[in-house]
Amino acid sequence: METVLSVQNLTKNFGRLCAVNQLSFEVKAGQVFGMLGPNGSGKTTTLGMLMGVTNPSAGTFSWFGHAPSHLIRKKIGAVLEHPIFYPYLSGQKNLELNASIKGTDPANIARVLELVELTARKDDKYKTYSLGMKQRLAIASALVNDPQVLILDEPTNGLDPMGIAEIRHIIKRIAADGKTIILASHLLDEVQKVCTHFAVLRKGQLVHIGPVDEVGKGEEIVEVSAYHDDLGVLLQKFEGTKTVKKEGVNYSVHMNEGFHSQDLNRFLFSHNIVVSYLATQKKSLEKQFLEILSENKK
Amino acid sequence: MLHLLSIDLKKLTNYRTFWIVCGLYFLTLGFTTASGMEFLKWLASKGADFGATININRIPLYHFPDVWQNLIYISGFFKLILAFMVVISITNEFTYRTIRQNIIDGMSRAEFLISKVLTNVMLSALSCAMVFLIALVTGMIYTPELELAYMFADVGFLGAYFLEVFTFLSYTLMLGLLIQRSGLTIVVLSLSAMIEAIIKANIDDTLPWLIQFFPMEAISNLVTMPFPKYVFQEVQDYVSIASVAIATGWLLFFNYISYLKLQKSDL
Ligand SMILES: Nc1ncnc2c1ncn2[C@@H]1O[C@H](COP(=O)(O)OP(=O)(O)OP(=O)(O)O)[C@@H](O)[C@H]1O
Ligand SMILES: [Mg+2]
Repeated sequence: METVLSVQNLTKNFGRLCAVNQLSFEVKAGQVFGMLGPNGSGKTTTLGMLMGVTNPSAGTFSWFGHAPSHLIRKKIGAVLEHPIFYPYLSGQKNLELNASIKGTDPANIARVLELVELTARKDDKYKTYSLGMKQRLAIASALVNDPQVLILDEPTNGLDPMGIAEIRHIIKRIAADGKTIILASHLLDEVQKVCTHFAVLRKGQLVHIGPVDEVGKGEEIVEVSAYHDDLGVLLQKFEGTKTVKKEGVNYSVHMNEGFHSQDLNRFLFSHNIVVSYLATQKKSLEKQFLEILSENKK
Repeated sequence: MLHLLSIDLKKLTNYRTFWIVCGLYFLTLGFTTASGMEFLKWLASKGADFGATININRIPLYHFPDVWQNLIYISGFFKLILAFMVVISITNEFTYRTIRQNIIDGMSRAEFLISKVLTNVMLSALSCAMVFLIALVTGMIYTPELELAYMFADVGFLGAYFLEVFTFLSYTLMLGLLIQRSGLTIVVLSLSAMIEAIIKANIDDTLPWLIQFFPMEAISNLVTMPFPKYVFQEVQDYVSIASVAIATGWLLFFNYISYLKLQKSDL
């Protein structure tokens, strides 16, 4: 698959603070790439370097195999952190300015305004917009050049639940067109729903990178209960058990790798215990994220 | 090039403050330069204080070709208003952070600067056109006998005037880029000439030859004050090559500093 973005040893120092530390990763065409990390972990700084507004202290990156240039940026749509517009211009005029800088056909403006449902307010001044409307206009401006790559830094910040769902819908639709998307977000649920790959930053360092659908593979957690007093003791004896915790009426069994709920069920049945409740917990991205961070805490 | 200018104009022409400041500039410029006869009367009363009687009807303030240097010299004072517009235009980009989005959207930093410099060129050219028109019209009204040979004899001052305004606006743009806040930029800009005057006063005895190289001095040396000639003092009634060279040097320097600053900073 074509490599859209390749980053090598990208580093940014703000004085003594190392905001991004020797970051290396690749994004391939068609991926929806989630960037996760706690506040201040360097997501926005990284995206700022990729978009030419922050000068890297060291390291290189390339877009579509080419050295970065302003011409390549015209093919990318990006919103970093906050929507940025001229407050005294209307939404329409702001988008005309964006289109003019990107060298794209202003005829697209009506389409993207429709997409983010701002058509009715397009002639009002930007400064009169609500936070969510500003956020929508920012997404419209990122889409106005029909970009090959879309970069969104917390795009759902300040949106209502309907707005969040709509943005998710828009992202999925754009991804379905084969476009590449890089998404920094704290809404792990959203990331899990839309992203194909994700990376986790911590204090400017890459601590994890991989596909989203591998989350939940590996060790399983099984919740089980039965009308039997010795269930807890018996569960400890099962060779597939790593740890057992009692949570309310259920036992939560953290399984060893290679063991699954059916193995546990078979084991209990062979000991004449019939379970009344058995559930395999899929590990959520959120859980995995917190684990990754705690593993890397030193 | 024109594309970059049109981008910057799009930002400005929908901005009410731009029209207010520009309107103020062209009104005061037009009003002041066209009302020079009043100034003459004032000159006459001053002259009377020194016991000199001046027949104002014999001072060819608005006669070709004197009108060129006279009006252009006066017009030079108003460039500060135009500079305020430049300050607002550049510092807005920082307060709204729109410079950041411009770069993200695919402008290079050099292109961003060029778009601002082109606007400076345009404002300077508009100011020139305005002064040209006023001088031409008033000259035609007041000159007793119009002769084509005299009419445009000193029109070359207009070129020096363009350089004067453009260099000053370049200085303003550089200050705005370095300081990034409108209030402070306007203060520094307004104090520049004063600070320079203090330094010049201190080196007047020791290094007088250096004075002409100071930036504000270089800008004002392009078109020198013509009026003392009406009380029979000698004045420089031409544009000196040296002053053009020095001002051009500063012009390039200011814009180059702007360029370096933009390239180096995180936006
Ligand atoms: N212009 C700057 N000057 C100094 N330090 C900065 C600057 N910009 C960012 N930083 C620092 O760099 C680090 C990374 O910041 P960054 O904005 O990239 O984090 P982030 O991952 O986007 O966080 P968040 O999730 O809160 O948006 C932080 O410690 C921040 O304080
Ligand atoms: Mg951020």
